[in-house]
Order: sequence, then C-alpha cells, then structure tokens
Amino acid sequence: MDTLSPGNSANWHANGWLDLGLRWLLGGLFVMASAHKIMDPAAFAKIVYGYDLFPLAAINLIAIIVPFIELTAGLALLSGVYPRAAAVMLCGLLLTFIMVIGINALRGHVFDCGCFATSEAALWQNHPGLMLGRNAALLLIGWRVAVFRGRRRLLVCAG
Amino acid sequence: MPDVIKKVVFLLSAAIGLALLVNGLSPHGIPLMGQWDTRQGVVTADAAAAALWMDFEIPDPAAAKQILDAGDALFVDVRSREMYLEGHIPGAVSLPLEEFDDRVEAFAREVSPERPIVTYCSGRLCQDSHTVAMLLMERGYENVVVFIDGYPGWTDNGYPVARQ
Repeated sequence: MDTLSPGNSANWHANGWLDLGLRWLLGGLFVMASAHKIMDPAAFAKIVYGYDLFPLAAINLIAIIVPFIELTAGLALLSGVYPRAAAVMLCGLLLTFIMVIGINALRGHVFDCGCFATSEAALWQNHPGLMLGRNAALLLIGWRVAVFRGRRRLLVCAG
Repeated sequence: MPDVIKKVVFLLSAAIGLALLVNGLSPHGIPLMGQWDTRQGVVTADAAAAALWMDFEIPDPAAAKQILDAGDALFVDVRSREMYLEGHIPGAVSLPLEEFDDRVEAFAREVSPERPIVTYCSGRLCQDSHTVAMLLMERGYENVVVFIDGYPGWTDNGYPVARQ
C-alpha cells in the first residue's frame, strides 16, 4: 500500500481532525461529569456505596480519587497532553463502570435509599440499559483515540 | 515498560495527588474513611460528623415507640409527600426535605421552638432526617432528635401506622 499517495495523505488529514473532535468530545464530557462529583464528594461516596461492590474501607478513597482521574484525563485530552495515555485511562474507567453496572443489572441490585439527595442517581440506576449503552459508546470513542496512529492535531505532548 | 504505560502512571499519579490536595483543602472535602456500616448507625462519608450526631439519635425503634407513647414529642416525617401518604408513624406531620423551604414557615407558626421533635426518614441509608433536624435546630428548635431506623425500622417492628 502506498501511504504517500495524495489520497491517503488527505485521509490522514481528515482523520487527524476527526481525532481532535473525538478527543474534545470525550475530554469535555469527562471534565463536566467530574465537576459535580468534585463539588460534593460525600454524595458521590454514597452512590459508590450504593453499588454494593466495593470494600467499605475504600469507598471514600474511590469517591475522592475517581473524579480527579476523570478530570485529569479529560483535561489531557482537551489540551493535547499525552492523549493516548489519557484515552487508555478513560477506557479503563469505562470498562470498570460497564462491569459494575452490568453485574448489578444481572443480579437485580438497585440502590434505593428512599432519600431526596441521591434520587437523581437512583433514577439512572433504574435504567442500566441506557447507562451501558452510553458507556459503550464512550468506550468506542476512547478506543478510537487510543489506537489512532495518524498525525494528531493541536498536540502539546505526544503519548 | 511501554511508553504509554509510563504516561498513564504519570497522569494517574497527578490525578491522585491533586485529588488528595483538593480534598484536604476544600470545605466540601471528606475524610479518607467513612461510616458505611449500618450496624453502627446511619451511613455517611463523614465518620466524625456521624460521631457528633450520636447524642441526637434515637438508636432503636423501641425507644422511638416509648417517646411516641409518652405523647410530648412531635414526629416529623421528612420523606416525600407520596411516601408519607402511603404510610407514616401515627401523629407524624409531613415536612419533606425537598419542600422544606416552602413549608417551614407554616410549620414554625404551628410548632413552638420548645416542642420536642423527632425527625425520621427511610432508615439508616438516608441522611435526610439529619439534614432536616439540623435545619430545624438552625431555626431555633431546641430539642430535636433523629429516629435513625426511620419508617422501615418502625414497620419492621410491627408498630401501628397511619395512612391518609
């Protein structure tokens, strides 16, 4: 295959801009998703507890650290710093989310504390199919950014 | 080690460092360990705050029943209006957390600050009764306690309920 032909070079060009669009989409979504968890870690900790899959001693640490993994990876994708590594991190997180939601859907576990503060989260948990579909779509985008081998646009640090 | 793994480790380290720093400095920060054992009390990310609340909590349904039977205290159901209508502790009034701001003025006109108050919600997974107890204390109610087992604890003991 002649990778230096004009057709292929135009293709790489297009892919580079598509890669940038996907990076910004994924990065922006994760930065936004991290914001309210960072503002209210106690509420997020209760959601983590509600999944009933994590050691009780680890719940606060998960609630403190996971939003900052989302924020750091999201900002890295937006700014073009180590986009491949950031996409790999988010793929790891998304796979974890998919496993957690999948396990709870299979065993029919829905967390209902009967309370006002976490009712929004409980609403989402009542639609595991929607959550799985959303996370699978984001995983595809993350995978596409992670395996992209063309010339990235607006790149600050490669990797 | 592959290059991408090194960079993942770098970004992860930055995220963890930033998380601990911001959590330590933020007024919304939480301790590294929470209170997530329902046998110990209401679950919460803030174990220290949970310990402070212990003096203001009714620890079991039998004690709540005694207080109700004594007749002095006003029980306040802070769950949603729908849940209250489906069933509540006899004599309890409805003051849902989500409607607190709209309804507290009417509540304050009816209930004097000296009246003993017992708040409850949906049990040990729910902190709404603590939130309303704190809001009532801030409004000058002097004698507020929380029945932490809430409505599920009440019905599990077979105590009578009211519906309307």
